[in-house]
Amino acid sequence: MAKYYDIDDILIEEEFAPVIFHKPVNGVTIDPSAETSCVEQGAKVELPFWLAHELHLRQAVSINLPACFDQKTRLEIQADAACVDLRSRCPYFYEFGCKLQPLVTDRTIGILLSTAFKIRYKERLTKVFTATHLTASKFLPFLTKEETNLYEAAHLSMTTFRKWRTGGPRFQRASILGRKRKES
Amino acid sequence: MAGQTDPHISLFSPEEVEFMGEDELVEIVPNMNMEPLNFIAGDFGRFVPQIPTQVPLWLAVALKRRGKCTFRPPQWLSVDNLTQILEAEREPQSKFQPLPFSYVEIARLLFDHARDDIPDMYMVRSLVEDIRDVRLHKLENNLGSFQGTSAVKMDNVSAMEVNLVRPFARRALEAFYKHDKPEADTADRDTRSSRQPREANNEPRRPLRQR
Repeated sequence: MAKYYDIDDILIEEEFAPVIFHKPVNGVTIDPSAETSCVEQGAKVELPFWLAHELHLRQAVSINLPACFDQKTRLEIQADAACVDLRSRCPYFYEFGCKLQPLVTDRTIGILLSTAFKIRYKERLTKVFTATHLTASKFLPFLTKEETNLYEAAHLSMTTFRKWRTGGPRFQRASILGRKRKES
Repeated sequence: MAGQTDPHISLFSPEEVEFMGEDELVEIVPNMNMEPLNFIAGDFGRFVPQIPTQVPLWLAVALKRRGKCTFRPPQWLSVDNLTQILEAEREPQSKFQPLPFSYVEIARLLFDHARDDIPDMYMVRSLVEDIRDVRLHKLENNLGSFQGTSAVKMDNVSAMEVNLVRPFARRALEAFYKHDKPEADTADRDTRSSRQPREANNEPRRPLRQR
């Protein structure tokens, strides 16, 4: 609730998570192409996280790990976390993982996230201050939203510093000063 | 923090850092007679020709622009001292060398306004640039050594350097904190989550909340 108006938070909760229904549900249209408007017990459906979360609280469904945390991704992260294209998997990889973590049975996801972030941080993000924008643009499309924010923060402070160093107008004229008095 | 251009990412613009750096005292040699100036920060003067006096940098720059004084370059801004510092900075695994907190800004203002008062101006300027680049690299390496949420200690980092890495370091530490926290209370959460379903089974089925 604290981040109610945070657009990123809203988008994270829009990510789909596979769920299994424990109870038959009547009168809902989860799949528009289904013949009947009810979901049977044991049905596997993909729901947006906000819905899956509410249903999970009411013990109606159990949440499975989404595809972006599957075994293949894990192996890739173990092999070389810095080169994995996480954005195409899930642009909110870390935040989504953090939100899922208390709801799924898999306990390893927290460690996966923190090791992935540590390695990627060390390999990629700390190079921002001295790397040129050209080399950075090579790995930029791989970064998740959170990592991109970090990168942008560093890049922005670096560009303003460069601008300051190379000079430019030292004194800015207030816009009101340039105006001539209106002739009345 | 008050006065930041962009409080969202908690960054002072370099101009703002420069503005704060202008409060540092420098020594000037006036060439005019003037009564002492009484400011909130203190009294400066009186100004007598050829008698050196300490004034804030901004005042010194203003006087210099009017041709009323010459600068005495600070002790650390000499070729010998800077060469020493640069060599010490280049030592692998070395700490940051002690320099004035706002050395970047002071150097910049002096190079802009007091070219004629600094001996070996071009040498000094390129030394300062080199020192700044080496220190920036070192700072970056230090950032890379973050290993989760632990106290980070970096001595002798100057105002401009701190301001450069502030938004990045803050966000990075926040991210580390977020990822470290769940690991710490895994045990606690295990007990809680195993308890949850049992309680739920005992109680009668809860009706969906009315909206």
